[in-house]
Amino acid sequence: MKKILKWIGLAVLVIAAGGLMAFLYYIPPFFTTTPEEFSATMKSAAPPASDIADPLQRAMAERGREIVVRTGCIGCHAVNGPNGPDYTKYLGGGGIRIHSPTGTFVSRNLTPDPETGLTQRSDDEVKRVLRSGVFPDGHVVPSSAMPWANFSNWTEEDRHAVVVYLRHLKPVRHKIPDPIIRPEPLEPGVIERDYAFKDYGLPEK
Amino acid sequence: MNTFNASKVRALALAFAVFGILACIAFAPRLLAQRSAAASAPDSRGKQVYDAHCVECHGPEGKGDGPAAHLMTPRPRDFTRGRYKIRSTESGSVPSDEDLLRTVRQGLYASSMPGWQKLLPDDDIRAVVEYVKSFSTRFAAEPPVAIPASATVPSSPQSILRGSAVYEKLQCGKCHGTDGHGTGAAVTSFEDDWAQPLNAADLSEPWTFRGGATSDEIYLRFRSGMSGTPMPSFKDSANDGEMHDLANYVVSLARKPLWDMTAEEAAAFYARQDAEAKANPVKRGQYLVDTLGCTLCHSAVDEHKRLIPGLRLAGGLRIHVAPYGEFTTGNLTSDKETGLGNWTDDEIKRVITKGTLRDGTRLLPFPMDWASFSTMKEDDLNAIVAYLRTVPPVRNKIPGPSWTFLPVHLWGKFNVLILGGDPPLTFYGGNAGSAAEGK
Repeated sequence: MKKILKWIGLAVLVIAAGGLMAFLYYIPPFFTTTPEEFSATMKSAAPPASDIADPLQRAMAERGREIVVRTGCIGCHAVNGPNGPDYTKYLGGGGIRIHSPTGTFVSRNLTPDPETGLTQRSDDEVKRVLRSGVFPDGHVVPSSAMPWANFSNWTEEDRHAVVVYLRHLKPVRHKIPDPIIRPEPLEPGVIERDYAFKDYGLPEK
Repeated sequence: MNTFNASKVRALALAFAVFGILACIAFAPRLLAQRSAAASAPDSRGKQVYDAHCVECHGPEGKGDGPAAHLMTPRPRDFTRGRYKIRSTESGSVPSDEDLLRTVRQGLYASSMPGWQKLLPDDDIRAVVEYVKSFSTRFAAEPPVAIPASATVPSSPQSILRGSAVYEKLQCGKCHGTDGHGTGAAVTSFEDDWAQPLNAADLSEPWTFRGGATSDEIYLRFRSGMSGTPMPSFKDSANDGEMHDLANYVVSLARKPLWDMTAEEAAAFYARQDAEAKANPVKRGQYLVDTLGCTLCHSAVDEHKRLIPGLRLAGGLRIHVAPYGEFTTGNLTSDKETGLGNWTDDEIKRVITKGTLRDGTRLLPFPMDWASFSTMKEDDLNAIVAYLRTVPPVRNKIPGPSWTFLPVHLWGKFNVLILGGDPPLTFYGGNAGSAAEGK
């Protein structure tokens, strides 16, 4: 009787360990999700622009949406939840913290939230970041952290369309810590280190 | 040896110690002074401003080779050459201080050079201009030669008509097209004197004119030429009056920008843009590759994030993704053996849209963002393929993915999912491919 209990106990332990390992192996489900499902998520995650009444604004915002989606802004500017990115807070930021030799940068909140987003930034200020990586306080974000040097190749009209679309997003209240601008030595050979698993925004009080 | 007894040794040691201390006290101020002079001679204000705001593009030595430089067209200026495009000085002359101050204050429109006048105090702008001038010996050796003032010609239908004849005579259409928009142009993409890419200006888009879009500003471009580019000075082939007429004509070529259009005009504009993309897939493909950020990861960079010469789009950037493994960005050039030369169109599109390599290996959904790229229209994907086929072959054999040993991988996941750990993505400088650096 004792022997049987011992065997059952052992079997339960083996199954539990196996289950844990299988869980760890398949979660997050990067390889069990089909590419088509990833694709569909990316297409539907971005809020549509088709509900804009003004036809010119709508045309520009739709073009802007196309650019924002294909460029993958959401890859860094997502709001990370416990189960991965929360796409209902599209482009609410805080999804990545980048350690670069010139400082530490957290992805910004791109939604039109009056306090924590881009509402108080003029179009010219937003475009200057997208063209030159220069923020209103004069600091320059590395072109490897935020690919503004690549975005500088956008035509001015595409850049404008992107800004029109960002202005149309659902506001997400999500405060992002300011960048820390100071030399940050990384190990020899390392040019950048990113953390992208948690929410790097500031918690609400 | 009794003469050297313990007390004598102690006394001698004490004497040496006292002497040493006295010597230190005597020399210390001098030594310290030397040290601080060598180590912390304060940087000039100009250098401080430059190091804080300019190095990302122009590089620490002013060579125009900062980390961002290779990602943008046009490339940032190499200050060591002392040659500048936007000037009010004669062809071949250095720019005036006012020219440089204007560029820093107002920026070069629609390029990555922003206007700094709202961001920096004017004293800092003046200091940084002096510092930028110090990169080239030309400024000390040659005074700027100002263009003599000429009577401006007010715009009128007659002046514009005369200007259009000058446009023909000087063959502006060869690069800018019959309509200023490139229609019928022989070639619109060039290299400057330093083999950097450069596009002919679209004269129908005055908001992109780097040096400003007023008739007088445009006249200066004809008169002074754009140093280092295929845009010459027309000083010897046209007189000032003709150049002013030409400037008035160029102003007249302006079209409405998108943001001032009606909805119908915008629809027509986008239809025309799409038709142009379809007609010229290589150009469209380059636009997508340049703007999507392909060049950012698929080009090996040195430990200061600067492009290793010759390796644009040749891959070789090593990325460690904990707890998955180590991945090196692919060689996207047309090299048959180590690049995409032997890949079929479908194979290239499959990796861009499904993250699946030729042998069926699936990639993680990051850092290569194939899920986002998959939202592109088929025409755009074909355009990217068409452009990549034109990228000159660079031999750079890239190692395949190296997956983390399974138990280590599982432990890493345990750390993340159960213990709440936060594993990093780490990017390395240097080329992990086979090409020798700097070749």
